[in-house]
Amino acid sequence: MQSKMKESDPILEVENLFASTDNLPILNGVSLTVYPGEIHAIMGRNGCGKSTLSKIIAGHPSYSITNGGIKYAGENINSLEPEERAQSGIFLGFQYPIEIPGVSNLEFLRVSTNARRKFLNKGELDTFDFEELVKEKLKLVKMDQAFLSRSVNEGFSGGEKKRNEILQMALLEPKIAILDETDSGLDIDALRIVASGIKKISNAQTGIILITHYQRLLDEIEPNYVHVMANGQIIKTGGSDLALELEKKGYEWTDNFVKET
Amino acid sequence: MEIIEQIKTNKLVENQTEIQKICLHKLQSNPLPDPKSEHWRLSNKSKFSNFLEYPFNEKDTKFDIPFTKNAQSTIRLTIGKNSQIKFIEEDYSIKQLSQDELDKYIKEQIYCFDQNENWSNLLNLSLSCTKNILGLKINGSKIPPIEIFSHSSSNSLNAKTLVIFLEKNCDVELLQVNLGIENSSLSQSTYFYLEENSSLNHGVVSYGANRSNLLNSLNVIQQKNSEYNLGSLHFNFNYARFEISIKQSSGNAKTNIKGMQITKKDEQISTYTKIDFNGPNGFLDQINKSLADDKSHAIFEGSIIVPKIAQKTDASQLSRNLLLSNLAQIDTKPQLEIIADDVKCKHGATISQLNEEELFYMRSRGITLPEASKLQLSSYFQEIISFIPVSKDRWDLLDKLLNDN
Repeated sequence: MQSKMKESDPILEVENLFASTDNLPILNGVSLTVYPGEIHAIMGRNGCGKSTLSKIIAGHPSYSITNGGIKYAGENINSLEPEERAQSGIFLGFQYPIEIPGVSNLEFLRVSTNARRKFLNKGELDTFDFEELVKEKLKLVKMDQAFLSRSVNEGFSGGEKKRNEILQMALLEPKIAILDETDSGLDIDALRIVASGIKKISNAQTGIILITHYQRLLDEIEPNYVHVMANGQIIKTGGSDLALELEKKGYEWTDNFVKET
Repeated sequence: MEIIEQIKTNKLVENQTEIQKICLHKLQSNPLPDPKSEHWRLSNKSKFSNFLEYPFNEKDTKFDIPFTKNAQSTIRLTIGKNSQIKFIEEDYSIKQLSQDELDKYIKEQIYCFDQNENWSNLLNLSLSCTKNILGLKINGSKIPPIEIFSHSSSNSLNAKTLVIFLEKNCDVELLQVNLGIENSSLSQSTYFYLEENSSLNHGVVSYGANRSNLLNSLNVIQQKNSEYNLGSLHFNFNYARFEISIKQSSGNAKTNIKGMQITKKDEQISTYTKIDFNGPNGFLDQINKSLADDKSHAIFEGSIIVPKIAQKTDASQLSRNLLLSNLAQIDTKPQLEIIADDVKCKHGATISQLNEEELFYMRSRGITLPEASKLQLSSYFQEIISFIPVSKDRWDLLDKLLNDN
């Protein structure tokens, strides 16, 4: 299975990435390669750099790359703006989706979808056509149409916000999706809905990176690789059994690793 | 400034009315406001001079209202144009005030005017000839929405005055539009008298063109159990001042204000509000937003006066401001003067920039930075625009705000 995947070129290559914010180093040499069809899980203590890695891949302007680089579909994207990365197919599912009062969810989704469609040389959708498309996608995450008329994420429960993220992923059809703690704050039913949405959207051409603390998401979506991060580095990589091992052992051993290095 | 010389020598207006005589007399000894006074210290001197540079003109050039009528039932009036106004229907009547009624009311107001605080009113009444003063008396129910236009003429200073009495129990929606024409100055003063149990939803939309100036003053007196709601928007002026004075004359009245001013390039727009509670159980909810871009300057100064008689007053004043450029300037000063001891009053001010995390969220969905900024600004504007009554949809105000340079 894995050798078949690697017949194609990688979607994402993070090469010895060092990054900082306000002169404070956060990533200290992360390397990660994702091929089409692969699911990677990144686990680690709070503050180990998982979310920072996801934001840097998406182009957050508060972080600067001090060494190394990120390649997407073979091209270095270090200098691309966040919107250029998103239009070309990089998707970040936020750990804490942002509320934007006064901006309608429907309009936000339509403008985003059209930006991606424009990149793919597909025609832009008017409000009527877009409503048809979004109604279909809403079913994937079992969301009510009423969510569309509300402001983006405003007053949404934790679960609703996460489902809205997966709805966006479904509309944007990314080549690589990084889902930052999409499982946090979800009850069992909401977790299943979200996991089932992710599985339906992903395909042999899509790469997925799941950032998580818990095994329960990985019970629903089995990863090909599990990486453990500590101190801004990936310190161990294994198969899905590594996540089970972490569940039993906790993260204390990663502290020892950091001390030793 | 020729106009100031004309005031000093009393050669500004021929065939002066009694009101003009009184106001000119008040201005003669001190024709300009004190630049050190609280009301004028931040005013840009060269821009204010530019306001006064245009020669005074009593006559209007041809003017076509640039917006389609929202509904057939809407009553549209232009100050200086409509000579005979009389709408008498089964449920309501809108009539012109008699000259005596008008003079009596205006004189009462002038009597209370302060040289600095009310300088704009004094100048306006010195200049406004009978033709350019529109006085209306409204009563009844099921009154159709009213739109009142005021405009300047190119290369001149024009003055327009509006006086409206709302009689007991009447409920009115009124949109006032002040249009600044290129290279011109407009002095607009408005007076409302709200009798008991009357209600006014008042919109003020003022927008200018290249190098236009505006002095806009609004004076409201509310009797008990009246409700006054104001939604206002000022943008695209070289120099504009919006001076609001509201008096709840015996308390027990409600006032809601949502105002916004937008400055770009090197414009200066300021809003001064004075809310005077002169009786118990008064209510005020006020929000003023300023948005300053480029090298522009926006100013908000608001005062709430709660004397001993105004027990149980419930007043809130919030100033929210967005700075879009490192070179732009915002001055804001909400303030309370409270003597009464049993009141609930709060005020606050914030100045911020566009929310970076919101912008990143939108950009991470492929929305470009300019588009993301527009979406964010539209949400910022929406709260105010939705409060402006009459025609707001037809006008595409939001598009105008987001796309005007």
